[in-house]
Amino acid sequence: MRSIIELENLHVALGGRPILKGLNGSLRGRAVGLLGPNGAGKSTLINTLLGFHAPSSGTARLFGRDIRSDIHSLRRQIGYMPENDSFIAGMSGVRFVRYMAELAGLPPNQAMERAHEAFFYVGLGEARYRDVNGYSLGMKQLAKLAQAIAHGPKLLFLDEPTNGLDPPARARMINLIREIRDTEDMHIVLSSHLLRDVEECCDEVLILKDGAVAALSNLEEERKTNKKFLELETVGAGAAFTEALEQLGCECASFGTGKYRLVLPVGIQIQQIYAVAANHHVEMRRMNYRRDSLEDIFLKAMQPAMGAA
Amino acid sequence: MAYRADELIVFENVSKFYGDVLGVNRVSLTIGPGVTSLVGPNGSGKTTLMNLMTGLIWPTKGAVRVLGLTAHDPERFFRLVGYCTQFDSFARGLTGREFVYDTLRLHGMTHKEAVERTAESLERVNMTEAADRKVAAYSKGMRQRVRLAQSISHHPRVLVLDEPLNGLDPMARAESMALFSTLGKEGMHVIISSHILHEVDRISDQVILLNSGYVVAEGQIQGVRDEVKEHPMQIMVRCSLPGLMAAKLFAQDHIMEAKLHADGRGMLIRTRDAGRFYTQLHEIVLEGDIELEAVAPADDDVNSVYQYLIGSEGATV
Amino acid sequence: MAVYKRTYKPYSGELTANWTRFAILPRYSLATLFDSKILIGLLLVSLLPFLVAATIIYLTNNPVARTLIGLRGESILSIDNRFFFQLLKIQGSLAFLITAWIGPGLVSPDLTNNALPLYLCRPFSRVEYVLGKLSVLVLLLSLVTWIPDLLLYGLQAELEGNSWFTKNLSIAGAIVLGSLLWITVQSLLALALSAWVKWRIAASGLMFAIFFVAAGFGEAFNQVLRTYWGHTINLVYLINEVWADLFGVPTAVSFSRRIGDPRSLSVPVGIAWAILLGVCGLCLLLLNRRLTAREVVR
Repeated sequence: MRSIIELENLHVALGGRPILKGLNGSLRGRAVGLLGPNGAGKSTLINTLLGFHAPSSGTARLFGRDIRSDIHSLRRQIGYMPENDSFIAGMSGVRFVRYMAELAGLPPNQAMERAHEAFFYVGLGEARYRDVNGYSLGMKQLAKLAQAIAHGPKLLFLDEPTNGLDPPARARMINLIREIRDTEDMHIVLSSHLLRDVEECCDEVLILKDGAVAALSNLEEERKTNKKFLELETVGAGAAFTEALEQLGCECASFGTGKYRLVLPVGIQIQQIYAVAANHHVEMRRMNYRRDSLEDIFLKAMQPAMGAA
Repeated sequence: MAYRADELIVFENVSKFYGDVLGVNRVSLTIGPGVTSLVGPNGSGKTTLMNLMTGLIWPTKGAVRVLGLTAHDPERFFRLVGYCTQFDSFARGLTGREFVYDTLRLHGMTHKEAVERTAESLERVNMTEAADRKVAAYSKGMRQRVRLAQSISHHPRVLVLDEPLNGLDPMARAESMALFSTLGKEGMHVIISSHILHEVDRISDQVILLNSGYVVAEGQIQGVRDEVKEHPMQIMVRCSLPGLMAAKLFAQDHIMEAKLHADGRGMLIRTRDAGRFYTQLHEIVLEGDIELEAVAPADDDVNSVYQYLIGSEGATV
Repeated sequence: MAVYKRTYKPYSGELTANWTRFAILPRYSLATLFDSKILIGLLLVSLLPFLVAATIIYLTNNPVARTLIGLRGESILSIDNRFFFQLLKIQGSLAFLITAWIGPGLVSPDLTNNALPLYLCRPFSRVEYVLGKLSVLVLLLSLVTWIPDLLLYGLQAELEGNSWFTKNLSIAGAIVLGSLLWITVQSLLALALSAWVKWRIAASGLMFAIFFVAAGFGEAFNQVLRTYWGHTINLVYLINEVWADLFGVPTAVSFSRRIGDPRSLSVPVGIAWAILLGVCGLCLLLLNRRLTAREVVR
């Protein structure tokens, strides 16, 4: 699979301060999650890939083309959903999206058609003739998504798409993102602070820290290979229960009331855990295997680097 | 749990209207110490409730008493309460430290005290290094943390937080949640409103669900779930012989439905009585002829209760 | 029967030519601007001088008509460079009103609503953005300055005959060049103010201030120091200088005409040009500073 984004020793400095310090990597996934603590350079990376900042040295490639020379024509194939509120004042929703689509190069009648389509697609069909200023927060987010996809880009940059959305609206947004991701020939870069968003949508993850790459993982592969442990939620468990488990040979970590993580040694069956629970009058409400989730990958990446990769 | 009046936040049949527009209607609540999460769609009245609690607005009807005091007694009331709003505005030209310090001086502290407390609260939110840069240069997450520092700096007993995790990266989120949890255990009343349900679920002692200005449910999440009788508990079970498991379970009458999973290794059970189900499951496992792989409640959390009680029609889009 | 599901489709159809993109801005801007009754009113008022001038030209060339309406004697006016010069001065002031009214609303809403990233993440540059916004003003102002004036030129040439057209081409040139210079200075100033001042009314006020308050200061400066260099900050004065030079009209434009009074001397035309172009350059610099996709704050 050819790579969508290639970073070649990318250095970017803003206001004299180096922000991105030599990023290297090749991103191929359908949906790439961009994670990292505040100040790690996520926004700067996105802005650089969009061509808003020029690299001070090194470069990046989108679809194999160098952003330093080709960014103007590359932008035809890019859609961007900014994190902050971004609108043209005094326009209705569909006019706004139509305007944006025309600016991206679509002929006027095509832009008109696709603007309407985009609105229906994101679920704002009813509200498309209303002034954008009057939209609620959830509607504004969807309108931003609509303007990002109306001109049919192949690469979407989504910056905190679920920001401020209440749970049903968030679920809707995530579904839309997944649908778009599954469209042929479409790629998404999702930058978010919510690990859950990234976990649900992305198959590859780029974690930045202090302007450098802290981790670049393929989530699918991680999920297949990582160690699994047992998660328990219990009612009525006490120190005796923990001891008994440890006597069986399990590594036991407890956190919160009644929540445990166990690593079972070879040969120990679930049945035995239940037997121990029965002996100690502990009710087991939840028991399941978990593999290293994104949270663990992230925390590992955040640790002071001892060759972290 | 019996608390004295001065340990509770009480809403007595409170309504708040903004002209014709409804903020909250006939709300009666009692909030004890610990962490309480406030959950609901945009426009459901969460901000109104928080503004009422922090004395920024008066109820149209009814009374709000925070630890026995009302905002009619501002000298004492406003010392008790700390509010971290969702709005991202600052006076221009300030550094983070100045922002927190100024507020403390407004509380009447001496310079020395204010400097100490400022340093303390900035340390608690991990902003000590960046404290002397201008707020305009901060990232969103840093601004969030500075606002948080300001709201805890005067050691309030009631801390109201409106979407406090907005803009924070995963580590900062975890740290903040840990901080709130600690504060809750220290006896503070911490009221958090958030859309990220699974996070607040983890540390909340109590939850309040709002929809369209009405309180839809409140209490401990397990208790709330149990009370939502129209929706029997859903529990997911994965085992080696789901058919046999289902047959054994159906022997008792609390099972309403068992839906077998397409892959033949699991099922979704709906039961009227979760307690009896677990007991029965224990026995079945100990019988030994079925290997259990996983059991997990499918809707025991705030997310699911939200879906049931508020659902998608509560959404504002 | 088939069931159609709405899915996302990338676009692979034809695209518009790159160089025409900037024209999208005026198309959309003008569509909404003409909703404003005040603007329509201003435009109509700005066309009045055109109508009056057309009448005058007609009457000048038509003795019969003159007698009909009761004017005796030879022509009331001669239609020459002075005529067009005076006309342009009037139109210039009215054009200023139009700029002050709509100029400030062109760029500041985009900055307030953070729309710049949306423009610039598309195959669209800042230059095209400025060009697009400028063309709104250039179009409207041209409609009330050199375009009607050239029509009048044509009318006069038609009515007078005698190859008046070719003999007076310098007037035509002065009309176009003079108008465009004034349009450019005003428009760039309006855009720069719109980019730096958030509040529309404040930006309009500032435009008036730059033109008139500066004039006042300039005068005061001249009075106090008994010189004429105060006129250098008076943009109205400067443009009149340039126009007078273009039209070949003697530059007795100072406010006092006493012989020997140094204030009756005028700023050299070259300097006037330089200052006006300098103002344009300054505005472009200001726009360059302000129109970025991302603010960088230290």
